Amino acid sequence: MADYVIETNNLSKIYSKNKVVNSVNMHVEKGKIYGLLGKNGAGKTTTMCMLLNLTYPSSGDIFLFGKDPKRHSDEIYSNIGSIIETPGFYENLTAYENLKIISKIRGDFNPYNVNAVLQMVNLDNEKSKKYKDFSLGMKQRLGIAAAIMHSPELLILDEPINGLDPFGIKEIRALLKRLSHEFGITILISSHILSEIENIADVIGFMDEGVLIEEISREELYNKLEKHVEFEVSDIDLALNIFKELELKENKDFTCNKENGTICLYTHLSMRDKFNALFVKAGIDVKKVNLCEENLEEFFTRFVSNN
Amino acid sequence: MFTFIEMEFLKLKRSKIFLLSLMGAILPPLLMFIAVTSFDEGQTFEALFTNVNMYMSAMFAVLIFTIIISYLFGREYNEHTLKTMLTIPISRAKFLVSKYIMFLVWIVILTVVTSMSTLIFGFAAGLDGFSVNLFAKSFAQLLYANVLLFLTFSPFVFISLFITNMVPAMVGGAGLSLVNLLVYGQNWAPFVPWVCPYLIASGEIAEYSTSITVSYGIILATFVIGLVISYIYFTKTDVAL
Repeated sequence: MADYVIETNNLSKIYSKNKVVNSVNMHVEKGKIYGLLGKNGAGKTTTMCMLLNLTYPSSGDIFLFGKDPKRHSDEIYSNIGSIIETPGFYENLTAYENLKIISKIRGDFNPYNVNAVLQMVNLDNEKSKKYKDFSLGMKQRLGIAAAIMHSPELLILDEPINGLDPFGIKEIRALLKRLSHEFGITILISSHILSEIENIADVIGFMDEGVLIEEISREELYNKLEKHVEFEVSDIDLALNIFKELELKENKDFTCNKENGTICLYTHLSMRDKFNALFVKAGIDVKKVNLCEENLEEFFTRFVSNN
Repeated sequence: MFTFIEMEFLKLKRSKIFLLSLMGAILPPLLMFIAVTSFDEGQTFEALFTNVNMYMSAMFAVLIFTIIISYLFGREYNEHTLKTMLTIPISRAKFLVSKYIMFLVWIVILTVVTSMSTLIFGFAAGLDGFSVNLFAKSFAQLLYANVLLFLTFSPFVFISLFITNMVPAMVGGAGLSLVNLLVYGQNWAPFVPWVCPYLIASGEIAEYSTSITVSYGIILATFVIGLVISYIYFTKTDVAL
C-alpha cells in the first residue's frame, strides 16, 4: 500500500449552495511532487486551504501523514510549509524580520537558518529591505523561503510561481525539484499554467469545477497524449487513394486537409516509414513527415470536455 | 505567551499607528498645558491630573483604543498575514488571547506616556502642589480606568474581525467619544460601559444613585460577551485570503 502524505476522502466545500469542492479523493505519495492542475476557480485553492485548516470542510475527511489533523494539529502542521495565493508578510518589516517572527513563534529561530534560507531564494542581498518595497517576484521568493525555512516534510504551494520572471521560475523550479529529490520533501503544487506542472510534477491531478477528475502519473499522462503523423504531400488525391487501398478509413484512421495538402494519420503510426515509401514509389513528392504529439494544454482541454 | 507579545512588538517596528497612538496619549496633557498656560493661571498639579485623566479615559482613549484594536486585528487580514500566522501553526484561541494581551500592554504603555507627559507639562507650566503621592494616585486612577475600559472594548474585537477595514473603526470611535461626552453627567451614565470605567476609577460613581456593583457587572458582561462572540466567530469562520 502506498505511503500517502495527503489523503482525502470525499472532501467537499459548499459556499451558500455552491459546491466549490466536490467529493475530492486526493492521494499524494511521500516524496513525490503532485501537481494540481485546473482553471481559475476550479477549487484548487479551496482544497489547499482545507488541507491547511484555513477553511473548514463542509464534509469529508482529511488525513495528513496518515493522521487526522483535527487530533494531531500541532504535530502535523509544524511539518508543513505553505504558500496560499499571495504570501502574507508585515509590510513595515524587512524580509529578515518577517522570517524572524515566523521562526520565533514556531520556536526554532536561528539567525543562521534565516540567512541561509534567504540565500537559497536569492534574497540575501535584500534582507534589510522593507517588504512593502519588494517586487511581486521577491514577495513570492520570500514566501517560498518562509515555507521551507523549518525543513518541512510537506510543502503545499498554491501558484508559487505567480509574478516570477522566467529566470525566477527556472530557479524556483530547480529548487523545488532539489527539495523533492535530494531531501525527499513531498510537494503539492497547484497551477493553471500547464507547462509548469508538466515540467515539475511526478503526478498530476486534474481539477475542474470542484471535481478532481483524475490523478495520473507523468508517464501515464505521456501514454495518454494523442499522437498522429502528419504527411505533407504534392498529390493529396493519389496519397488518399493509397490509404484507401490499404483499407484505412477517413475520419477514423486519418483526416486530410486538401487546401494545404496534409494528411493526419492517427492509427498504424509505426508503419509511417512504409507509407512514406509507398508514396515515394507512386511518384508523390513527400515534403514533410512529422510525428506530432498532443501537448498538455490540448490534452487538458480534451480531457475536461470529455469529463 | 511572552514570545507572542515580543513578536507583537516587533510587528509594530516602524509602525506609524504606534507612533500616532503615543502622540494621541500626549495630546490631552498637551491641550491641558495650553489651557493652563493660556487661560487658567494658578492651576495646581491636582487639577491638571484630574482634567487629563477625565479627558483621556472618558473621551480620548475611546477613540485611540478603537483605532488600536482595529489595527491589531485588521492588519492581519489586510496584509494577508493571518494565513501565514495560523499555518505556523498557532491555535486560533492562542492567537486571539495574544492579541488581547498585546492590546492591554499597549494600553498600559499609553497610560504611562500620558501620566509622564502630564508630569512634564505640569512642571513646564510651573504648577504648584506636586507630590509623588499625588502622581502615584493619579497614575493608578488612570491605569485603573484604562484597564476597565480595556474590558469594555471586547465587543470591538469582534467588530474588527468582522469588518477588517480601519475606517469604520475610526468613525465608530469618534462616534463613541461623542456619545460618552453626551452621556457623562447624566443619571444613566453608570450604565454605559464606556463611561463607567472613569466614573469608577475617579470615585465619581458615588455621586450617582446606581450601585457600583451594577457598573462592574456591566463592564464584566461587556467583556465576556465580546470575548465569547469574538472567539466563536474567529474559531468557526474560514480565514479570508
